[in-house]
Amino acid sequence: MLTRRSIGRWAAAALVLTAAFTWAPGNPGPAPVSASGGTYRVVVNPANPVTVVDRKFLSDVFLKKSTRWDGGDSARPVDLRPDAVARQQFSDDVLRRSVGAVKAYWQQLVFSGRDVPPPEVDTDEQVIRYVLRFTGGVGYVSGAANLDRVKPISIK
Amino acid sequence: MRCLIAGVTLLWTPLAFAAELGAPGEGPTVEMHGFVSQGAIKTTGNNYLLGTSKRGSVEFAEIGANFSGQLTDRLRVGFQLFASKLGSNGNFNVKADWFSLDYRWRDWLGLRAGRVKLPFGLYNDTSDIDAARVPVLLPQSVYPLADRDFLLAQTGFELYGFINLSSAGALEYRLYGGTIYIPLSGQAPGPVQVTAFNADYVAGGRLFWDTPVDGLRVGASVQALHLDVAVNYAFPMTTAETVTADVPALLWVGSLEYAAHDWLVAVEYSRWRSKVVDSSNAMLLPNMATVSERAYSLVAYRVRRWFQPGVYYSRMIRNVDMTEGAGAAQHDLAGTLRFDINTFWLVKLEGHFMHGTGGVDPGLNGGAARDTLPNNWGVFLLKTTAYF
Repeated sequence: MLTRRSIGRWAAAALVLTAAFTWAPGNPGPAPVSASGGTYRVVVNPANPVTVVDRKFLSDVFLKKSTRWDGGDSARPVDLRPDAVARQQFSDDVLRRSVGAVKAYWQQLVFSGRDVPPPEVDTDEQVIRYVLRFTGGVGYVSGAANLDRVKPISIK
Repeated sequence: MRCLIAGVTLLWTPLAFAAELGAPGEGPTVEMHGFVSQGAIKTTGNNYLLGTSKRGSVEFAEIGANFSGQLTDRLRVGFQLFASKLGSNGNFNVKADWFSLDYRWRDWLGLRAGRVKLPFGLYNDTSDIDAARVPVLLPQSVYPLADRDFLLAQTGFELYGFINLSSAGALEYRLYGGTIYIPLSGQAPGPVQVTAFNADYVAGGRLFWDTPVDGLRVGASVQALHLDVAVNYAFPMTTAETVTADVPALLWVGSLEYAAHDWLVAVEYSRWRSKVVDSSNAMLLPNMATVSERAYSLVAYRVRRWFQPGVYYSRMIRNVDMTEGAGAAQHDLAGTLRFDINTFWLVKLEGHFMHGTGGVDPGLNGGAARDTLPNNWGVFLLKTTAYF
């Protein structure tokens, strides 16, 4: 039987383990990502007044925990396909999970009836077209994408 | 078998079915997803989960398909059909696994109505989704496969929400109330058979705090239910008798999960208290309370996109007031290798070293008392799942 002492040991071990993983060397901390630099850029519809977005909020939008922008518009995230380099970098930097872990997250929600993942598209151009279609659209594209029609935003 | 064929047919239908039917985000959209799982199990020492596991069995399969439609920004509907086979349980009978209408008024308040998966601990509501986890068998102390019908879903209502606490993280809650349906099929043959199992109600909730540390969340779940049971006793040389009783139960679990980048660490501790009261024959079915204790710790790491090993230690004590004997507890040390062949297909290999027989069903082992069964034994599993 677990005693209070052994429960305490379990809890302490779990906390130490978690802390070790969290602050282990090589586990990247908050990565500054600017709209003008880096290998991917986060873009929104030009009608969206947002110019800077909190990383955690952006993560919640792509995991559909938060579904609205501050102004009340419905947030409509769109993903690139899983093997896209920009998807992998966005996933690591913003969601702080690998693409595989994010897919496992969506499997849990899809098959328990809670939600479905954002649509996945193949190209930067398709991301841009999706973002242009909806006021609340938000996506990310590779650093080489032409951003003339959409609005790049910064992550803080 | 017809369901299996139908499931496979659906799976290999062009993947357009897996995507939104219609342009993304334009008006109501319908999505379809599905999975097909086939497993094999071999045990040493004791039959486990099914009555033929010692000689090896492939009676371990699951099929599911769901449709969901986003009707408006705030309103979704969906349902999932599910069929499974685990020994004599399931027999590929198709049933509505879940169905719900889901109105998300604000992020912090939504309502689901219908048959909704029970949020108990970290993984209960996804416990039949092989693709969503590393192990083949979730830690059986907290997520017993044999109790799937008790614990998986309730029919009623659920309130849920997500509250952003800014730099303090976020809270995620679910509160529910309804009833559960417990099928009586699949009981191991024997002189004692449950003939009625009705739930007056099930109610509970789950609260998680997403801490400011990325990927770290802690929380607790509680579930209360009240059952009316009837048990038929037909021992040789005696007159058969049906005994009725009420069984109120209270289950809780404390949870901690760290899921960030390629790491997954989960620790849960749980206690389940059940009582038999108002027994119509206390000699056969005594009025008594039982508290079981359950806990596990799991670690997994994604080494490559296609390879994710994991280990866990799980421990279950049937009754904290009766801890003597091999049948009083079960310790389970498990290791899993998960191979993601591609985005839609995975294979898992898993081995368990078991000490104790507390989680073994005597009915699957010739009615032998748990204390008399082999104390150290093993479970080996192979499972493959395709999903979209």
